Amino acid sequence: MRALVIDDSRTMRRIVAGALGRLGYETVEAGDGQEALDVLEAGGRYDLACIDWNMPVMDGLTFVTNVRANPHWRSVTLMMVTTESEHGQIVRALAAGAHEYMIKPFTPDALRDKLELLGLLPLEETV
Amino acid sequence: MSPLAPFDTVQITAIAEEVFAAMVDGEPGHLVPWAGDAPVLAEPLHAWVEIHGTFAGRTLLSTDVSTADDLARALLGMPADEAVSEEDLVDAFGEVVNVVGGNLKALLPVQEKLTMPRVGRTAPDTHGATRIDGVVLAWRGRPLDVSVWQI
Repeated sequence: MRALVIDDSRTMRRIVAGALGRLGYETVEAGDGQEALDVLEAGGRYDLACIDWNMPVMDGLTFVTNVRANPHWRSVTLMMVTTESEHGQIVRALAAGAHEYMIKPFTPDALRDKLELLGLLPLEETV
Repeated sequence: MSPLAPFDTVQITAIAEEVFAAMVDGEPGHLVPWAGDAPVLAEPLHAWVEIHGTFAGRTLLSTDVSTADDLARALLGMPADEAVSEEDLVDAFGEVVNVVGGNLKALLPVQEKLTMPRVGRTAPDTHGATRIDGVVLAWRGRPLDVSVWQI
């Protein structure tokens, strides 16, 4: 399975990509929403995108809106991974088309649980 | 506690401990209250994010550069003897204050905007700012000051 990890912090990209990698994911990283759109436009299938909210150039909410507006990317599951934990922000993200929401800080186990709920654990992890 | 911002030492400590347990150490117990007088930082490094909106505030983290180096190593899974680049140091310490500040922002009664984190050897200007509350913590025995300011 392939995941796109979108965060302006290299540290957080490395943490998320590391946790996904241990679950069997192949990951590609992007530093903001526009860079992530460029990655999607370049082609390749992605099962999951983990998206920070507050980023320069293009924020996570705008990225989600753009992805949902393109029918070619309908199969990508969008998960916000952010410190924006207010109820109103969660509702905004889900209304824009995000499937799941994870609040920083999170543990690798919490990430695994979210992916299991979404049916997005690689096969060897589901046993 | 400020009438505008519901932050106190207990909440600041609880959020910092949660962030370090989940994100830095992988288990609780490595960030604890500092015992004794607040120490003077020999070579300080500061990281801060600001909250803009009805409440204008700042979350500030301060520690020694050597501690921030080890924090970056822990976050990035680097061996103890590997040198930390300035870019990784700034990014890692900035992300820690981003997560701490973002969780403190969530305690506010209304939604506010969080700025991008900033990191520097010099603390941000405190002219006109009021320290609401803060706490000195010990991460693996070394001081980490966490404070919230009204600006």
